[in-house]
Amino acid sequence: MSKLPQSFVLILFLLTAPGGLRAEDAATAGAEFFEKQIRPLLVAHCQSCHGEKKQEGGLRLTSREWVLRGGESGPAIAPGKPEESLLIKAIDYLDDLKMPPKQKLAEVEITLLKRWVATGAPWPESLPPNNVSDGTGQGGWEVTPQQRSWWAFQPMKAAKSPTVKDERWARNEIDRFVLAEMEARGHAPAAAADRRVWLRRVTFDLTGLPPTPDELDAFVGDQSDQAFERVVTRLLESPAYGQRWARHWLDVARYADYHGANPQTRVASCDPLEAWHYRDWVVDSLNRDLPFDQFVVHQIAGDLLPSPNGEAVYPDGMIATAFLANGVWDRGDADKEKLLSDMVDDQIDTVGKAFLGLTLGCARCHDHKFDPISNEDYYALAGIFYSSRFMDNLGTKGGEITLKRVPLVPRAEAALRHGYEVLIQSINTKLAALEKIAPPVAADHPERLALIKERDALQAELPPPYPIAITVQDGGMPGSLFPGIQDVPIHIRGSYTRLGKVVPRRMPVFFAGDSQSPIPHGSGRRELAAWIASKSNPLTARVIVNRVWQGHFGAGLVRTPNNFGLLSEPPTHPELLDWLAARFVEEGWSLKKLHEWIVLSATYRQGRGELNTQQNDPENRWLSRFAARRLEAEAIRDAMLAVTGKLDLSTGGPASDDLAITRRSLYVQTARWDRSNFAMLFDAANPDASVETRTVSTVAPQSLFLLNHKFALEQAKQLAERLIRVVPNDTPDMELARIQRAYRLLFNRLATDEEIAIARDLVARSSWDDLAHVLLCSNEFVYID
Amino acid sequence: MFNTSPLTRRQVLAQTGCGFGMLALAELLAAQEPERSSQPSAVRSPHHAPRAKRIIFLYMPGGPSHVDLLDEKPRLEIENGKPLPFDKPKLERTKTGNLLASPWKFAKHGESGVAVSELLPGLASQIDDVCVIRSMVADNINHTGAALQMCTGEQAFSRPSLGSWLTYGLGTENQNLPGFVVVSPAAVFQGAQLWASSFLPSAYQGTLVRDLNHPIANLGSASNQQQRDKLDSLRRLNEIHKQTRAADNQLDARIASFELAFRMQSEAPEAFDISRESEATHKLYGTDKPESELFGKQCLLARRLVERGVRFVQLFDAPANNVWDHHSGLRENLPKRCRAVDQPITALLIDLKSRGLLEDTLVWWGGEFGRTPTAEGTDGREHHPFGFSMWLAGGGIRGGMTYGATDDFGWHSVQDIVHVHDLHATILHQMGFDHERLTYRFGGRDYRLTDVHGRVVTEILT
Repeated sequence: MSKLPQSFVLILFLLTAPGGLRAEDAATAGAEFFEKQIRPLLVAHCQSCHGEKKQEGGLRLTSREWVLRGGESGPAIAPGKPEESLLIKAIDYLDDLKMPPKQKLAEVEITLLKRWVATGAPWPESLPPNNVSDGTGQGGWEVTPQQRSWWAFQPMKAAKSPTVKDERWARNEIDRFVLAEMEARGHAPAAAADRRVWLRRVTFDLTGLPPTPDELDAFVGDQSDQAFERVVTRLLESPAYGQRWARHWLDVARYADYHGANPQTRVASCDPLEAWHYRDWVVDSLNRDLPFDQFVVHQIAGDLLPSPNGEAVYPDGMIATAFLANGVWDRGDADKEKLLSDMVDDQIDTVGKAFLGLTLGCARCHDHKFDPISNEDYYALAGIFYSSRFMDNLGTKGGEITLKRVPLVPRAEAALRHGYEVLIQSINTKLAALEKIAPPVAADHPERLALIKERDALQAELPPPYPIAITVQDGGMPGSLFPGIQDVPIHIRGSYTRLGKVVPRRMPVFFAGDSQSPIPHGSGRRELAAWIASKSNPLTARVIVNRVWQGHFGAGLVRTPNNFGLLSEPPTHPELLDWLAARFVEEGWSLKKLHEWIVLSATYRQGRGELNTQQNDPENRWLSRFAARRLEAEAIRDAMLAVTGKLDLSTGGPASDDLAITRRSLYVQTARWDRSNFAMLFDAANPDASVETRTVSTVAPQSLFLLNHKFALEQAKQLAERLIRVVPNDTPDMELARIQRAYRLLFNRLATDEEIAIARDLVARSSWDDLAHVLLCSNEFVYID
Repeated sequence: MFNTSPLTRRQVLAQTGCGFGMLALAELLAAQEPERSSQPSAVRSPHHAPRAKRIIFLYMPGGPSHVDLLDEKPRLEIENGKPLPFDKPKLERTKTGNLLASPWKFAKHGESGVAVSELLPGLASQIDDVCVIRSMVADNINHTGAALQMCTGEQAFSRPSLGSWLTYGLGTENQNLPGFVVVSPAAVFQGAQLWASSFLPSAYQGTLVRDLNHPIANLGSASNQQQRDKLDSLRRLNEIHKQTRAADNQLDARIASFELAFRMQSEAPEAFDISRESEATHKLYGTDKPESELFGKQCLLARRLVERGVRFVQLFDAPANNVWDHHSGLRENLPKRCRAVDQPITALLIDLKSRGLLEDTLVWWGGEFGRTPTAEGTDGREHHPFGFSMWLAGGGIRGGMTYGATDDFGWHSVQDIVHVHDLHATILHQMGFDHERLTYRFGGRDYRLTDVHGRVVTEILT
């Protein structure tokens, strides 16, 4: 391990991480055959009379032992001998005993059961580690001691920061926690980074953009105690902050601007054409530091919030619920009922991962195999989403779906425009009808002229279009199995075709207790939001604090940010995580304060460290240096535009399908069905599901893009033009001045003699365009120390 | 490529011949580190000796009709027009009517005597190399879910595709080409999800070729001295940058990636250029006939690519979307599809065999499901995942056999059922992997192609 750099170790770790599901994987083919084919049959057709509750004829078909013991008529099966097995005779309807009594099983089902008996009737023991139920909601679900004592499920402990040996190093509380862990392991912090390195780092971290040469000069020249604070305040107040950190959240929210990449072929009803309102709301919320608990509530139940200003419509509330409404469902499954159940599942899964760090979706077909979330808990939550409306109706088989959209203006205003539109349409229809009359009606016929006049008058008065948003409302899905606000039954093995007992809507029992008051009215999203955004929820604050930490250090204190359950990696610094989370809540859930604490710490100010620190702690778990990392796709593109001076920093509005625009990458479309775009090439998040961490790949097609794509060539040309413009030909030692200008713009430093020589050489043989191109392709441009 | 002789980083960089690098380069370099040999690197080389080194997946989007092509049902003929004598599953989409006999005749072919429809004379001539699985079962009745399951193992959520798992597990033989190429002239319904790497690094996603004339994006001119000069300067500047930083594979990988990109500009166009094939070869593949031209070109390209070490080639028969989705017009359109693909596929099998490639190239044919033995309208069949056929050839698969069976009507698979997960497990097995051990940790748990399912169908292996 001695000389392995961090990236390699990370990869190794990924490749060799111990299997979480091994015990289960080891199941034999027979066991799997049973689970897949036989158990569902027994559940569906037999166990209502021969199960845990009822044992007609004394027979109980709930375990191999019971089946062998049989009932009043003797053993139900003879393993290996279907022809001698009572159960088989009964389902064959050959003798007097005919089972199931109401209707014979389908041929294929009979064949399967025969095969099962013929192969010795394999029946695996109950699955570890939970006493997993069979999906009927009747199994014996129990919380294990391990689950009960799992760190993430305990209340936050506001520990005092520890004492450390080197008292001088720490700048704030964070550093004491970090240093204590380092000291315990014999590590020492790396020397602080150069001011210029820190400025470049913090500017990219908070805004996704490089610092300008002027900003660098100002900071380096500011010798006051507040120099660092001033920079951080300036960056957090810049609109670029919200644009940068919105992208982190959009990864988690599986955000896409559109399904289809091609604007001409998008299907308006099901493509989330208005999703950009949500993206803009996230940017704006971050920029005005909307308390995070409110940020949560808006996205789950914003439509139910009163307008803070007392207006009839609260646009932000409607818009924010696109978090739920903008999922991976295009025109969807032709089987609309199944589509609906998948949509609800996506919402449960995303809410669980994004806010709670819980993989709630794993309890769809059975109790969660690792975390204390039962199959019933899942359907208690599912009821909340089934009681909501995110399509106009269920739609028809094979047809498009229609996402739920609402006007962001008062109803009367929307109705007025609609009224005009209807009238104009009806006149157009009449005019069209005139065209079809034979003989043709003259162009100046009074009736025709009157209609045209009336239409033009209406057109002139037509109120301006109003904004609309895709949203979620209360009320259930018309035309579906669950058309209103209602509790829903367990879907056995996750399928809507096999429904079990109805579960009241509520929060998961382990987390919210078993004496929850019933949801008084509405879908329950309000209650769900309040529970998640509560100070006493041990997960919510920890999960977001960890995400912010990851945004600054490249890895979280918990390195599985979407999963804090029993399969997650425990935090490297549990006390620090709790201290941050508790302080974050105390200080009003302010993300900006959280950023400040982190980036002003000595921990964040460290340099990249000596080689030996990298060897002692290859993954930098103990934070004894700052680990370099590559810029994300968006930051690479934005940085290119920034250094050419062409970057358009305007905010908001629909996304463009044109990579050549000069707006920030946030406004270049993310289209779900397009994987061949610039952003995906550089490892952008896949918008199909919540993404906790982006991977970093280095592949030749990225280099091909930078070498040959017209966007890259254009930026090289623009950069060269800028250099030539600011350093005209008649400048003394023009070449050197241009090279230094380029280095200050791109790398926030001056070039060394060796670098100057290489640059001069290239310019002499080729052009400023080519030098600009080379510098934009360089490692230093895309790696942040 | 993953030999154990310790190469220095410098040597690796010097040999930029090893490089297109759809394989993540950081890993490539890591793999070359002497230290690597002392580390468990289970998934970079397969778990056991592979029987197949590459796969060509001939995907027929929409769902080809098994009872008209590969699964002869005399009973269907006898009871034509009568109702199915048992209940159809609840999940049926539209109500189909009564049983519909196949309008086409079947005959036994080859030494093995496997019955094949008259619509596929070419395949019939090669049937002794082919294993027809007649007991396929999938879980989803709709195109989106079923195609996702066929390509990724999962019907509803984003998961890595089979090709991504394989390139993740094996890397690629020819570093100058992508390891996983998808050829789909028209956009298919489910789009990139079918070849996505999902949570695996994006380097493992399929490289989509839509236009055979412009197969790979952003290729510059190969003989470009100006670009060469730029790359030399870039290399020198990057080396200076690296000097002050501790050994960092990512920086090295990125330096190498530019060299690899440059080389690829000369290698890739040749690999994708089917015009270099002889006229006789073109004729064999049927590119001279309008009806089979497109798929003929796709098959010919597939052969060129696997010959050059591409690991997984997935061809979509997609002059338009879902062309095998014969809800109506079965009698006209199914023969048309067969004419489009039968000769090219036959040529591919013959060509691979004559080059000695068939024995370690797995050819896999089918769609996301089959079609109902009952009629939709008067001239169509509905979607049918409950029992359908696919075929495999080469790559250690036993030829001239059928495996499994549907019931007398071609409705349910009843004997030796092969679920999609089982097929995936079998394919991974042939490629050298234990499907339970090819895993990737994401969001706190280990994922695999077959989820918690899958049985290797050893009965069809040589």
